[in-house]
Amino acid sequence: MKSRRRSLVPYFLIAPALLYLAAFFAYPMFQGLLLAVYDDEATLPLLDGPTVDGAEVGRLSQGSGITISDRQGNRLADADVVDNDEFATGLLTEQWFQVSGEGIEGDEVSGWMPESRLRVRDEAADGTVLGGTIRPRLGQSGDPSTALRAEPNESAAEIGRIGERVAVTVDETAVLEVWFQVVDAETGLEGWAPSRFVEVFSDDETGRIDRGTAGEFTTKFIRKMVDDRKFSSAWRTTLMLIGMILPLQFVLAMAMALVIDARLRFGSGFLYVFALPMGMSDLAVGILFFSIFSGNGLLNSFLEAIGVIDAQKLFLTADTQGWILFAIVLAELWRATSIVMVILVSGLQAIPRETLEAAELFGASYWQRVRHIVLPLLKPSIQVALILRTILAFQVFAVVIALSGGDVVTVLANETFRQYFSLRNNNVASAYAVFILLLSIASAVFYLRAVRAQEEVRPS
Amino acid sequence: MAEIRIESVTKAFGDKVAVDDVSLTVHDREFLVLLGPSGCGKTTLLRTIAGLGMADSGRISIGGRDVTYLPPGERQLSMVFQSYAIFPHMTVRDNIGFGLKMHGEDEAAIARSVDEAAELLHIEELLERRPADMSGGQRQRVAVARALAMKAEVVLMDEPLSNLDALLRLEMRAELKRLLADIGATTVYVTHDQIEALSMGDRVAVMRDGKVQQIDEPNVVYDSPANRFVGSFIGNPPMNFIDATIDLAADGSARALVGEHEIVAGAALSDHVTAAATDRLVVGVRAENMHVTVEHSEGALPATVQVVEPLGSQNLLTVLVGDSRLKVSTHPTFPAKPDQELWLRFPPEQLRWIDPATERVIYG
Repeated sequence: MKSRRRSLVPYFLIAPALLYLAAFFAYPMFQGLLLAVYDDEATLPLLDGPTVDGAEVGRLSQGSGITISDRQGNRLADADVVDNDEFATGLLTEQWFQVSGEGIEGDEVSGWMPESRLRVRDEAADGTVLGGTIRPRLGQSGDPSTALRAEPNESAAEIGRIGERVAVTVDETAVLEVWFQVVDAETGLEGWAPSRFVEVFSDDETGRIDRGTAGEFTTKFIRKMVDDRKFSSAWRTTLMLIGMILPLQFVLAMAMALVIDARLRFGSGFLYVFALPMGMSDLAVGILFFSIFSGNGLLNSFLEAIGVIDAQKLFLTADTQGWILFAIVLAELWRATSIVMVILVSGLQAIPRETLEAAELFGASYWQRVRHIVLPLLKPSIQVALILRTILAFQVFAVVIALSGGDVVTVLANETFRQYFSLRNNNVASAYAVFILLLSIASAVFYLRAVRAQEEVRPS
Repeated sequence: MAEIRIESVTKAFGDKVAVDDVSLTVHDREFLVLLGPSGCGKTTLLRTIAGLGMADSGRISIGGRDVTYLPPGERQLSMVFQSYAIFPHMTVRDNIGFGLKMHGEDEAAIARSVDEAAELLHIEELLERRPADMSGGQRQRVAVARALAMKAEVVLMDEPLSNLDALLRLEMRAELKRLLADIGATTVYVTHDQIEALSMGDRVAVMRDGKVQQIDEPNVVYDSPANRFVGSFIGNPPMNFIDATIDLAADGSARALVGEHEIVAGAALSDHVTAAATDRLVVGVRAENMHVTVEHSEGALPATVQVVEPLGSQNLLTVLVGDSRLKVSTHPTFPAKPDQELWLRFPPEQLRWIDPATERVIYG
């Protein structure tokens, strides 16, 4: 049997779309979600010497306790100091100055010494150090003079000494990055690491690994999310809102759809009125309902006007969570019922007139027709609307922010936002995003399976 | 007793009058066919009887009960829809039992009625299946079974066979006729297919532009159409129409002339001509009612053959008589070729005389 020749054209046509999808959607999303389970600062390699060229002797994970056994400064290239932001952050540096002045033997000496020995007295407009005096060594016995060295390094050869309070000119400045030789408190592993990755405690001898340079997969962000004090209230509130909003919403949407499908006089007017909230952003709706429930809001004005209350009642406070939830439910019902309605109306209109007429003719009352004919035939539309609405409900955010400030009542999307912007915790925010994604997928799969029997029923 | 009386029923959609002051009576247990071209109002009339569209004016009663303003569910009738309108999400059993369930029958009675109806239509083995994977013919049987299971005294059918292929339609036609005769329901059957109408109906009501043109037994509608429209709508080929001039002699006798040739009419023609006060008439005659001969015979008119169509059981000739083009059916062995000259004889008892002004048959 000869196989049918396939046309390649559709594959060519779909290629740009796939590329677009991969480049602008799948890849960034993958990277974003990866943050939830991947810590790119997890471990710090220790080197066998205080240079970037050193061989790795082992790794310490972030947070390991260490003791510092030795220090050394390495001169940084000027480009690194000026240009490289990453170098600048958390960089523990030391400045060394090449100075010239009168030595202890009265001769002219020139050499390097650390910034701690110079009191700066002369600076250029741009901050460059031009000159100063040698600091005295207070309360110290021993040689009060300061050693000058051939290189900006403690271990370089001494080429002269200079006395206290001697005025010197600064010929050159060098920036040294301090390297620590650290010993892991637990394993005793010893090696060198740049100071910027090490947090030094106040005793100047112990510390911990602040962050690493190599990544690894981890569950710590997820644990951090789950342990967050707002996590359980966020997902409980989200599910509770779904549980309260969706059933009401579907009953309302069904009623609206039936009204429109009844083709009453002014029926299209109903459609416009019902569909109006679809044109409003969720934040705008949140603010609208805030203006209803706020202290000077419409509800208070109304209740005062009809004499039910004497003074303003505060609905949206930390002590009135119930009212806030009520306002959120109301706002979400008002805002998102119309999208469900539109889906149901389109499903209703796909039901053949004659099918409904037949039911009527065979004696079914209006409610019997709705129950025995309309609802079963509407199942595919209800399924679509349920999936869409549930996924959107997991993302509810702006209305909650507007009505509760995102603090008294919190939801998953709001926690994602808080972790990312307020707490600057990208990884935990990403863990929240993954959690929402998994909940959405799970609910979609659940609905698809729950209404699977429907497939064989569709009219051919 | 379920006699359907329709009295002066009018139904309009906007400016379009679909049913225009129709009055007719369907006798108890009668099979009445509403026949007409599309847009003639036959389906609208049926839906008005069913209650799926309310009459603008007039009155409908079923079995002596005024149902004009009753909803369809309370009119105690059942219906087969053109699209079958089977409920796609239910099994065949649930479909057939739907009406009984809605009327609150108990489970056992429903099951019994469903089995009976399924047996009548030979679909017992389909009962647990769903309509989605069934053929058009099977669905049609389900739709009929659903209507019969109700055991209503009135069954309405809206072109139930129009979605079937030709062979199946032929088969179902006979089966439906037998079934409906057996159960003895009063049936109103809408169709645009004249063969269906003639073969199934006890009486046929021919409709045009919302009005009933003629309501009679099938052979009467065929043989003696009430007007030119009925003659031309019914029959395949349709009735032939020949323009004739009337020559009224001094003694009051009338002669009908086609060109210079006379068509011999019955003696009573002159009375009808005088009554209609016209000097022109149209002669209507069916294709099979003319005698064709090769040789000239007394009272025959000359005709020229234009087309010869052998149809197996007959040869259909298209001939020209004067300016009129006629269809003539002949025995399949009759020798005829295009351009051949033939002679046509018109038996007076087969001629229908039509007044061109009113288009009504005034004689014959």
